Amino acid sequence: MNKMSKRRVFLRGTVAAVSLVALAFGSAWAGPAAVAADKAADKPEKRYEHTNVILVTLQCLRPDHMGMNGYARDTTPNLDQISKSSVVFENSISHTNLTPVAMMAALTSEYPRVNGLVTFDVTKDSVSARTIPEILKYYGYKTAAVVTSPEFVMRFDGENGRTINLRDVFSRGYDDYIWPRRHVGRSMRVVPSESLDWIDKNKDKKFFLWIASGSIHPPYAATVPEPDKSMYDPPGYTPFWRKYFPVSGNEGGPNDPTIDILLRIWNNEYYEGFKPVHHLTKEDADYIVARYDAGIHYTDKFIGELRAKLKADGLDKNTIVIFYSIHGKALGERGIFINYDLYEAVLKNLLMIRFPDRQFAGRRIDDQVQGIDILPTLLSYLDIPIAAEEQGKDLMPLVRGDAGATGDEYAYIDRMPWWEHWMSRFFLEFKFQDPLKRNHPPSEDKAIEAYENMLKQEFPMDAYPPGDIAIRSKQWKLIVRTNPRLLEKVSWPGFITGTPVHIPDMELYDLIADPIQAHNVVDEHPKVVAELKAKLMEWNSEVEKRKAPYHKSGEKRYIIPYP
Amino acid sequence: MGITRRDFVKQAGLGAVGLGLGVSMFDGLGRTASAFADQIGKYKDHNLVFVSFDAVQAAHVHAFGYPQPITPTIDAVSRQGYKFDKTISVSSWTVPASMTWFTGVYPCEHKLVNKFSVYAPPVEKIAKMRELAPSIVTLAEILKKNGYATGGFTGDAGVSAIFGYGLGFDTYVDNVKFGGLDQSVPKAIDWLKQNKDKKFFMFLHGYDAHGQHVPAGGYDYRFVDKGYDYRYKGTAAEQEALREEGLANGKLDMREADVQFWRAVYDEKINREDAIFKHFLDTVEALGLTGKTLFVLTSDHGTECFEHKRIDHGYTLYNELIHVPLIVKLPGGGSGVVGHQVSSIDVMPTVLELLDVPLADNIKKQLRGRSLIADMQGGGGPEDAYSETDYRLYTFKRSLMAKDGWKYIHTLENNGRELYYLPDDPGEMTNLVAKEPRRAYEMEQRVFGFFKSIGSDLTAHRWETGMNPVYDYQAKTYEAKLREERKL
Repeated sequence: MNKMSKRRVFLRGTVAAVSLVALAFGSAWAGPAAVAADKAADKPEKRYEHTNVILVTLQCLRPDHMGMNGYARDTTPNLDQISKSSVVFENSISHTNLTPVAMMAALTSEYPRVNGLVTFDVTKDSVSARTIPEILKYYGYKTAAVVTSPEFVMRFDGENGRTINLRDVFSRGYDDYIWPRRHVGRSMRVVPSESLDWIDKNKDKKFFLWIASGSIHPPYAATVPEPDKSMYDPPGYTPFWRKYFPVSGNEGGPNDPTIDILLRIWNNEYYEGFKPVHHLTKEDADYIVARYDAGIHYTDKFIGELRAKLKADGLDKNTIVIFYSIHGKALGERGIFINYDLYEAVLKNLLMIRFPDRQFAGRRIDDQVQGIDILPTLLSYLDIPIAAEEQGKDLMPLVRGDAGATGDEYAYIDRMPWWEHWMSRFFLEFKFQDPLKRNHPPSEDKAIEAYENMLKQEFPMDAYPPGDIAIRSKQWKLIVRTNPRLLEKVSWPGFITGTPVHIPDMELYDLIADPIQAHNVVDEHPKVVAELKAKLMEWNSEVEKRKAPYHKSGEKRYIIPYP
Repeated sequence: MGITRRDFVKQAGLGAVGLGLGVSMFDGLGRTASAFADQIGKYKDHNLVFVSFDAVQAAHVHAFGYPQPITPTIDAVSRQGYKFDKTISVSSWTVPASMTWFTGVYPCEHKLVNKFSVYAPPVEKIAKMRELAPSIVTLAEILKKNGYATGGFTGDAGVSAIFGYGLGFDTYVDNVKFGGLDQSVPKAIDWLKQNKDKKFFMFLHGYDAHGQHVPAGGYDYRFVDKGYDYRYKGTAAEQEALREEGLANGKLDMREADVQFWRAVYDEKINREDAIFKHFLDTVEALGLTGKTLFVLTSDHGTECFEHKRIDHGYTLYNELIHVPLIVKLPGGGSGVVGHQVSSIDVMPTVLELLDVPLADNIKKQLRGRSLIADMQGGGGPEDAYSETDYRLYTFKRSLMAKDGWKYIHTLENNGRELYYLPDDPGEMTNLVAKEPRRAYEMEQRVFGFFKSIGSDLTAHRWETGMNPVYDYQAKTYEAKLREERKL
C-alpha cells in the first residue's frame, strides 16, 4: 500500500494527508502476520480442551466425621467410595472460620484482605479479583453453579428489612447461577439436586459446575426427611431447649439445633437471661452431633446420585471433581458448638480431588494445604497458565509425588470478620426489625438493644473491620489478637453469659498434645512464638501491601445474611 | 511493507562502501529480511555519536514510512546505514526510556521511572539512578574506562545530569530546559573540535520536536493548511494546556483542523531539527571524522497527534508513542533494512559489540537485550518487546508488543486490559479482550511473568495513583494547593 502513498506529492495538512498518515503510521505492522501461526497438529493436546470441572462444596463437613477417616458411624459411604479413586489432602486448613470469606479466598486464590471479601456486608464491587469460572470461561467453558448455601446468594438490606438478590459477589463469571429457593420446613439449606438436571442438559458441553451444598450447615438436618433425620438420635430424647424460651430462629423447627440455640451454649452451659440455666449432659451433646451426622449422611446420599450420574453419562473419564468443605464446626470440644473462633474442629476441612479416569487414585497427602491452592492446582492440571495474582501453590507436583514437592509449611488464617461484626450488621437488627422473628426472652430485650448499639458504635459502617491473624504449622498454632481489649468489650460469649471474658494478646497451642486448644502455652515456648510470629508478620505485611480498598465506590453495603 | 525492493536496492547501493550489495528477500512469512554478502566488522577505538531526536514518532520520519519528505537528512543517513523498521521503546517518555540505551536494563531496573523518588512536599527527593540502582553501570562509564573522551550535549529536562544521565561524561551540557539541537549542536561542535584527535563518545540530544519546545524565532507554519483559522498558535503553553486537559478528561475534544494544525507544527519542528542535524553532519564530515565514527540515530519515544484523542506522551503505550526510529551507521559503510521487530533494550549491547569493547562479567550480566549485529547481517529474528510507564503516578502501564503482531497493554491501577492485533488494526482502536479472552489472559500472564523475571513482581503491592510532577508548573501548583490546604 505504501507504493502508492510514496508516489504522492507532498501534501499540506489536508484531510487526505491525515488518512495517509494514519495508514503510514501502522504500516510497519499492517498486513499479514509476521510469524506463521502455530500449527495445531504440532501441539500436544491441552487438558482444558476436553476436561470438565466440578467443584462440590460441602460447607461445614468435618473430615473426622467421615467413615473414610475412621469415624465410628457410617456417615459417608459414597464419599468413602470416591476417596478410593481420589487424592485426599489430610491436612487442609481453612482461611477463616466463616463461610463467605473462607470460600472467596478459595475461588480467587487470594487471601481475604487481598480479594476484598472480609465481611458479611458487601458492595457490588467488593471483590474484583478473578474467580475460577472467570478464568475457565476464557478457555471456552460453560460455567454454572447450583447453590443451596444462602451465603452465596442472598443479600439483605438491613434498613428496610428486605431480602434482595444482587447476584454479583459470588455469581460473577457464571452463565447459569441457580438458586433453587426450595424450602424444606423453614430451611432452604437443601441438597442441591437441581445440579443433576443441569448436568443432564449440559453433558455434551465442556463445563465448569460449582455445586454448593448448604445441607450440612445448622440448623442441623433441618431439611432431611424422616427417618434419616433422626437415624442417629439418642433413643427417646427430647431436646433440652424445649423447656426454655423458644429461640429456635426462623430457619429451623423446634427440634432442630439452630444457630440461635447453639449460640447460647458456652462451656457446656445453656444460657438464658445471661445466666446458665442448663448444664449439657452427654445425651444433649450426642443429640446435636447426631443431627449434624444425619445431615452429612443425607448429603452423602446426594453425592451417591451425583457419582452415579457421572458414571452413567461417561463423565467420570473426563471430569475432575473437587470436594471441599470450606470449614468445619465445633461440636462440643471445650463445650462450644459454633465456629466462633479458630479451633482445629473449625479450621480442618475436607479437600479431595477426583482426577479423571482415577488418575492418582488412592493417594493420601499429609502435607498441610489451603483453599487458595485449589485454583492454581486446577489450572496447572488443565494446562492453563496460573494467573500472576494467585497466592496459592500449585499442588500438582505434590499430587504426582515429584521429589521435593511440599505443601504449605505454614497455613495463614485471617479471623475476619469477627463473629460480633456480622452480628452487628445483620443478626441482631434482624431480630428487632420483624416482631414475628424476634426470638429472645423479653427479659433480654433491653440488654440486647444496648449490646447492638454498642456493636454499631464500635464497628462504624465504612470502617475497615478488625480481625485476628493466625499461623499454623503441623504442630503449632499461634493466634495474634490485633485488638484484644476491643474483642473483650464486644465479646458475644461475654455478653450472653453475663461474664466478662479475658482475651490474651497471643495464644499458642501445641496441636499434637492439645488438639482441642485447651491450654495456651505462649509463655512456655518463647522461641516457637518468636519464629512463628516473625513468619506471620512477614505474611501480614505482604497482605497489607495488596489490601483491597474497603469502601471503594461509596455504594451502600448490603449484608450476606447468616444463618 | 515500508520499502519496495527497488527502493531497497537503490538505498543499499548508495550506502554500500567496501561491502557487497544487500539483497532484499521476502521469506514468505510476510517479513522483509536482508541478506548481506559480508560480515559486519568490529570497530575498535572508533568514535560513537549517539543522537536522540527526542519525541520523534517513527511514523513521522519519511524513511520510516511518512509520506511527506520532511526528514531528508535522517533519510539519507538511513540509506547509508542500517534502518530498523520496527523498534519498540521500553517506555513512552524521556526519563525512563533514555536511560535504557545507556544501561541496557528496563526502567523498573534502572529505577528512573519518575522525576522524584519521593514526592511528598515538603519532602522531595529527585530520582538518582546511582542511589536507586547503585550496581548499574552506564555506557559512558564503560567507554570512559576504555579511554574514550565523553561529552553529552542535551536539552536538559528528562535527560538532566542530575538523574544520572551525566554519569561517565567528562562534559555534560544540560543548561537549557527543553533545549533543541539549535542549543546543543554549537556546543557539541566546539567540543568536537577540541576532541577530534581522541576517540570519543558523544551524546547529542534535542527537544526540537517536543511539545514544550518552540523553534528559535517562532514557527513559519510551513506545513499548516492555508485555510486554518489559527485558533491555536502552537505555543508551549497551549500544548501544556491540551496535554493536561487530555490527561484530566481522558480525551480531548478537538476539531479536525486543529489536529491537522498540531500535526503540521510537529512536522515543522522535525523538519527544522533535521536541518540543524545536517549542519552537524557537515561539520563532522569537514573535520574528517565521518569514516571514524559510528552513528546511532534514534528517539526515546514518539508524540501523540490525537491518535487516541490526546496530545503529548507518557500516559499510554500505544505504538505512536513506543514505535521509534532507529538507524545505525557504521564507519566502514554497509546498509540494510531490518524489517522485523527489535527493542531499544538491544541498543547498548549492539553498540558495545560494534565498538568491540571488552565487557566485564557484571556488565554482561547487566545487559538484558541482545546485540543486533546478526540482524544487520540478514539473520537474527523478531523479538517480543516489553514496555512500561509509571507516568507522573497518573498511571502504571505495562505492555507486550509480541513479535506475531499481537499487543497487550495492562493498566495496573485498575486492571485495565487491552488487546490489539496490529496487522488488522495498526492504530490500536479495537480492543479484542472480550473477543479473544484466552489470548488476552495468556499475554497478560506473559507480561506479569516477564516483569517478575527481571525482579519486578507486579502483584507485590496495589498500584495507587498519586502525584509526581514532571513539569515545574505542576509542582508549583500542587505545592501551592498544599500550602493553601494547610492554611485552611
